Amino acid sequence: MSNSALSIEQFHSGVVRIVALKGRVDSTSANDVMACLSNLISGGEKAILVDLGGLLYLTSAAFRVLLVATDEAERGAARLALCNVIGHVRELFEMGGLLDAFTIHGSREEAVDRLS
Amino acid sequence: MARPPGLLYAVDETPPPVTFVIAALQQVAVMSNSLIYPVILAREAGLTTSDLLNFASVAMLALGVATILLCARSRYTGCGYLCPAGFTQIYLGPSLLALQHGGLALVFGMTISAGLLQVAIAPLLRRVRMLLPPEIAGLVIAVVGLSIAVVGVRYGLGITGAGAIRPIYLVVAGISLVTMIVLNIWTKGYTRMFCVLIGMGVGYAVSAAVGIVDLSAAVPAGGLDLVRPPHFRFIQIRFDPTELAPFIIVALAGTLHLMGNISTAQRINDDDWIRPDFRSLSGGLAGNGVAAVLCGLAGSLGINSYTSCIGVSTATGITSRSVAYAIGVVFAVLALVPSAAIVVATIPAPVIGAAMFFTAAFVFTSGLQMITARMLDSRKTIVIGLSFGAAAMADIYHGVFATAPAFLQPVLGDALVMGTSCGVLLNLVTRIGIRQLAAIRLDPGHINRDAVEEFLAEQGAHWAARRDIINRATFGVVQLLELLGEVPGGIELEARFDEFNLDLRVRYTGAPLEFPERRPSAREIMASAEGERLLAGHLLRRSADRISSRALGERTEVHPHYDH
Repeated sequence: MSNSALSIEQFHSGVVRIVALKGRVDSTSANDVMACLSNLISGGEKAILVDLGGLLYLTSAAFRVLLVATDEAERGAARLALCNVIGHVRELFEMGGLLDAFTIHGSREEAVDRLS
Repeated sequence: MARPPGLLYAVDETPPPVTFVIAALQQVAVMSNSLIYPVILAREAGLTTSDLLNFASVAMLALGVATILLCARSRYTGCGYLCPAGFTQIYLGPSLLALQHGGLALVFGMTISAGLLQVAIAPLLRRVRMLLPPEIAGLVIAVVGLSIAVVGVRYGLGITGAGAIRPIYLVVAGISLVTMIVLNIWTKGYTRMFCVLIGMGVGYAVSAAVGIVDLSAAVPAGGLDLVRPPHFRFIQIRFDPTELAPFIIVALAGTLHLMGNISTAQRINDDDWIRPDFRSLSGGLAGNGVAAVLCGLAGSLGINSYTSCIGVSTATGITSRSVAYAIGVVFAVLALVPSAAIVVATIPAPVIGAAMFFTAAFVFTSGLQMITARMLDSRKTIVIGLSFGAAAMADIYHGVFATAPAFLQPVLGDALVMGTSCGVLLNLVTRIGIRQLAAIRLDPGHINRDAVEEFLAEQGAHWAARRDIINRATFGVVQLLELLGEVPGGIELEARFDEFNLDLRVRYTGAPLEFPERRPSAREIMASAEGERLLAGHLLRRSADRISSRALGERTEVHPHYDH
């Protein structure tokens, strides 16, 4: 297995549930991210932070999953935000014109402060 | 072209008058350190104190004229960047040898030969640009930083032939260096811009207080005239074909040295710098050659570009070309006023050392950044690692190589020339076997992203391609595979690279694709798979510099192009 395969780590920081994605998110792994976020939302998490700092890149399938999860969170009265959207990953958000479609914080610490 | 964050005055900008003048004086103070080389030659030639002073005046005039020739932006001469001139060890060894064989006349004649050779090479430089790909240019710049640091430490610690350190030098150099660092990091405005000059001033004052400065030793018995134009009394010229070999090496070594310096000067002006601009390099080399010819005609040691000045520009953010003209004027004045020249020419060694050590940090880091922006496979790693080691070896075992044949001295005796020569030669040799066109086939059912990533990463490292471009290309292919889904007959992926272009060709059986200009809204993307496809096509269009799709019978070829 290549180093680019997706890994998903989850942990709490206070009331915020952090989901750290590492590697590549494409159509083969986007469903795993969706399942993870859906479970958290349906499980009653009210503040979810998706840390993209470890991502190499994400494709259109991943963007769709993040948009759907954000929508789901809003309908479930939860907040879903992104952080560490940097480098090549940030360029992809810019190319897709999707920076404004999400709540994006700079660092994980800043995001946790805002979501707490 | 993007403006780097620390840049205060770009190459085409002119600072306000006070800043302009002090910036020129700061560069002059650093450049004056290089007068040590003509002074060594003059002492070896047995000149009297009065003649030695005159020799130094001619050398100062040469520094001024050469700086203008090197930095001008004209059709025939000059690189267009602030890249001042300086005397270096490159010319010293062969010049001392020529001095033994035929006196100063032979030194000057052979200096003219080296200069003419550089003028002849200048228009051809672009054709041999594969000799200096960006990762090798980065190596050269890092070695430039290393060599300045080594000489800086030698001066700063007052290391003698026996290897002993002079503690008082350490104190002076330490105070001078700390002043520069503190002003550069924790202050703004004038103090930051002139941190090198202020640090040298503080060092000079401390040196005077502890008795290191001895101006009287440089004053001739008859005293000093207030104004005295330099006499060109050493003008005798002799050529000897048997002396040509070392001066050919001098010319080539000086060319590589100059290419490293001008590349750095270009880079500190442009955050988006990717590779050397060879038009600027050619102009700079022509200017350097003309300057060396003039040095020979006027009776001075040959001249090169001076790396410490690039370090000063990097540290202070003042890179204005106009400063070069002011430097020319200041040196012309210094050449006319012996007392001023003596003050500049007697800057104490530990102060020089501190300035060199400080500026080396900026040059070294700039080189490392250039190297690490590229993907490196084992070939490139070996080229860069061994060349860096060779450069360090030339400095560490300087004494051992002093016994090598004289024509090899310009290479073995100079870390920069040694490192650059190794880098250029090893790079040429290890290019053997690298194909610029590579392809893989992804069979149906086995179309996995890892294979694509590995293929492009491996090829990128062979080619020393830019990491960011390979990342974009990898994303492009994976996004394309996602858009295509399972394709009967599999997919062929072909990658072709040269330093300026990366072209991919993806062939499959099926209909051509469209890459929409229009960006789908977030709602469209969420609403249906078609919205996601629109986003995929749009991302493909945006992530490549050009992309096209054409039918080849039943098959289709998608061609993303990336500027490199």
